[in-house]
Amino acid sequence: MITKRPLIYWVKTSSVKLQVLLLGIIAVNIVARVFPLQMQRKIVNEAIGLKKINLLFLYCALYLAAVLIASGLKFAITAIQTYLGQETLSRLRKELYAHILTLPISFFRKASSGMVVSSLVTEVVSAGELVGQAIAVPVNNILTLLAFAGYMFYLNPLLAAISIGIYPIVIFVVPKLQKHSNIANKMRVDVTRDLSSKISETISGIHEVHGNASYRIENRKYGDFVDRLFKIRIVWNLYKQGIKALNNLFQNLGPFTLFVVGGYLAIQGRFDLGALVAFLSAYEKLYDPWKELMDFYQVYQDATTGYQRLMEYFDVAPEHAIEPPPDREPYELQGSIHTQDLSFAVAGGIQLLKQVNLDLKPGEQLALVGFSGSGKSTLAQCISQLYSYTGGSVLIDGKEVSQLTKKDLSHNMGIVAQSPYIFDGPIKENLCYSCEALLDDREADKQPKLPSLDEMIEVIQQVGLFVDVLRFGLNTVLVVDQKDELAAKIIRIRENFQDRFGGKLADYVEFFDETRYLNFSSVAANLTFGSPNREEFTQERLAENEYFLQFLDEAQLKRPLINLGRELATQFLDIFGDLPPDEVFFKESPIFVNELDDYKALMERIAHSRLHELSEQDQRLLLRLALRFIPGVHKMATLPEILRNLILEGRFLFMDKIQKDRPGALTFYRVSEYIYSQTILDNILFGKTTSDHPNAQDRINQSIIHLLIEEDLLERIVEIGMDFRVGTKGDRLSGGQRQKLAIARVFLKDPPILIMDEATSALDNASQKRIQTLLETKWKGKSTLISVVHRLDTIKGYDKVAVMKAGKILEMGPYQELLDKKGVLYELVHGAKAAA
Amino acid sequence: MNSSMEPKQPLSEYQENLEILIQLPLFAGLPIEPLKVLAYLCKRETFKPGELIFHEHEVDTNAYYILEGKGALVTETNGETEYTEFGEREFIGSISLFCDIKRLFTLRAKTKVICLTLSREKFQKVLERFPEISTKMVEAILMGVHAWEERFLREHVQACDDCRKRIGVSLV
Repeated sequence: MITKRPLIYWVKTSSVKLQVLLLGIIAVNIVARVFPLQMQRKIVNEAIGLKKINLLFLYCALYLAAVLIASGLKFAITAIQTYLGQETLSRLRKELYAHILTLPISFFRKASSGMVVSSLVTEVVSAGELVGQAIAVPVNNILTLLAFAGYMFYLNPLLAAISIGIYPIVIFVVPKLQKHSNIANKMRVDVTRDLSSKISETISGIHEVHGNASYRIENRKYGDFVDRLFKIRIVWNLYKQGIKALNNLFQNLGPFTLFVVGGYLAIQGRFDLGALVAFLSAYEKLYDPWKELMDFYQVYQDATTGYQRLMEYFDVAPEHAIEPPPDREPYELQGSIHTQDLSFAVAGGIQLLKQVNLDLKPGEQLALVGFSGSGKSTLAQCISQLYSYTGGSVLIDGKEVSQLTKKDLSHNMGIVAQSPYIFDGPIKENLCYSCEALLDDREADKQPKLPSLDEMIEVIQQVGLFVDVLRFGLNTVLVVDQKDELAAKIIRIRENFQDRFGGKLADYVEFFDETRYLNFSSVAANLTFGSPNREEFTQERLAENEYFLQFLDEAQLKRPLINLGRELATQFLDIFGDLPPDEVFFKESPIFVNELDDYKALMERIAHSRLHELSEQDQRLLLRLALRFIPGVHKMATLPEILRNLILEGRFLFMDKIQKDRPGALTFYRVSEYIYSQTILDNILFGKTTSDHPNAQDRINQSIIHLLIEEDLLERIVEIGMDFRVGTKGDRLSGGQRQKLAIARVFLKDPPILIMDEATSALDNASQKRIQTLLETKWKGKSTLISVVHRLDTIKGYDKVAVMKAGKILEMGPYQELLDKKGVLYELVHGAKAAA
Repeated sequence: MNSSMEPKQPLSEYQENLEILIQLPLFAGLPIEPLKVLAYLCKRETFKPGELIFHEHEVDTNAYYILEGKGALVTETNGETEYTEFGEREFIGSISLFCDIKRLFTLRAKTKVICLTLSREKFQKVLERFPEISTKMVEAILMGVHAWEERFLREHVQACDDCRKRIGVSLV
């Protein structure tokens, strides 16, 4: 298991070829680094001393070559080191993530997702990078040190011994200092933590501070922490700097002894001058590798402790094997379920399930009912291996569930959780999620098939998601020209719609009408009243379009619109300026999520400026907002009556002007033309809906579906809707839609066992009934079903009903039988009726 | 709307919403920042006479403040029974902001009804940003339940024998 691996494992498993290559380069590099010293000596002694020009050039050339090679090799070393480090880092990230995903669900009850995120994102970094350095840095630097030291001994053993003699002292002293520094560092972390909790305490109690004017008390308490931190930080820094200073001192003491002893020897003529120069250079060159070793020592210390802490945190074994042994295919089970004295206890000895016995034949359907806390969900989760039961047994087709692999289960069981999770991506992808999970690395013919479009449409009809997906399709904006035949059909639908439903739906639709201001269209659309055929006339580009700006000036709209933009930005920032942005807040705002910071900066910049003082750039930024403004949607500002009339007048001026100056730049909204800048729905309506309330949507849907069927477009639009992206956590869907999607994806997988844990709790009555009927007709006898049920009126159709209380099954049998017995179920049903 | 002063520029819908929210007991005592966001996220809905605002047995995740018009609170199981009316300046459905509950009643528009609605989805987003407000709001709801039963005890229990056996909602 990954968490048991020591850090060295990652070094061992990194690319051997690269590590060997690295060592080879290091060896060459060391020669290339020592060589110039020898040249230095020869230049002084032989070339300069004996005044031989050609020798001087030769040695200098060799010197240069050696230096160039050394720098080149140094770069190669760093490159390989970086590659190894980053490669290990990504390996570490992937394998740790894979491990974390398999951890038991109970683990995630304790672990915060923030901790998991920071572990995978930041904490692994130092360990990964250390691995890159683990071989290269110590080997390179120790060898370099040895090489220079060796060279020094070769020049003069006595001098070498004297100058290197200092290092053992350093090696002895530094770790001791480091230990103190580590202690101080730990204290610093602790006190910093205290300090921040003190700060947040004071801030959240700020009204109390103001109320009591207790500033002195709070300042004193805070001051105490700061003073402690002050002392600790001084100690910590002194140790850190002390290590450096000591290191430097020893380093600088070297030349001192060299000059004293070497100088004396040179004067005596027992040591040549060139050798002394080389010696000094060699000694100075010792400094770099030594310093790198010291740094490495510190990085190594940090990384190993960090790595250990990280691995300790995730040191939990997965409860079940993921894959079956290689020689075995995943089981194909029939779906009989049998539990014998099943019990489940959590820490503290609390028994959530006590001796539960039940028996289901393949295709039988069981409803679990009971008060909340009675253990219904826990029972379902134990059977589906989400919890590991602590006693008794659960057998599926005679096989113990705890011994089955995750793959065995996923091939045979479909689970709809209480609050199902939907992942970011198109609807289609989410529908296929359970089926796609069954795919693996085997040959194509052994793989299960992914559902076809027809199957997907069938299942979304069954679960009642069809209209929703249709709606997503209708809200799509088509790409220009590509879907011409589709556009033609939509225009036909538009004509029929106007004829047949125009009057009835007038309350819910604002039709595009040349003579009226459109409250549910943007200011830009109100002015241009058309869809752009050229890039520079798209709504987003209008604020930079010189021609359009000139027109705004002419229509006397520029100044009032800039003012409107400013008003919008002011209001929006007043509400959301200091909040972390969230998609939901921006749905009805002319400012987009990614522009928030720009507009914050802009509003700060122009806080004290008058309109005429703004730069052209700032004016355009504000203008952009005003052009996006939709009075019926953006509720934080109003459109003054006078501006509304000016814009309406401006529309006609613009129409005249552009037809003369730039014919063809825009296509005006005409009943006979498809509007590519609008959604399919808006094209059919030839207008905008004025409410997204379900009542309004229902009426519009009903009329449109009818027309779509006539044109044979229904499935085409649904197919487009399947590409709708559901957003992170599916947050662009409603709770009901998420639940329907979760049920649909399990139905598509078509497993022999279905586990549904209050799977329809967020659905309206009609949808709930539809799914219940489906279970009773399509799935009965086909899949074994265990359904945790919260509403008693849906359980009549189940083969068996089990009533649970305090972790036990009190009674179990067919619905009518239990009622006739007048036992607990009878009480529950009648109690429920009495209360309603 | 109902303002007697003639402001220079008409208030935006958001500003009107904010003025309303500030006065509601449910939001009493909340700091202005979350109220601003809530006012921004509120939506106006119009219902025609006869239209259903919410429906018995169905999960409804909205709270409503009636700006204009009247709605009848009815149940439809075992034949239609009308219980009471809700009208202008009444606020209903705050529990829906916190949990999925199925409505026990249907609210049907008697006249044209304009409501300010706040959905749980949006409310929860505000809670994520301002978790501290939930305590105050739960308090306000519970106080409301308590006050309701207190009034009920005082005004009705004497007259109705059946009610006497059924009291105790404030003891939940």
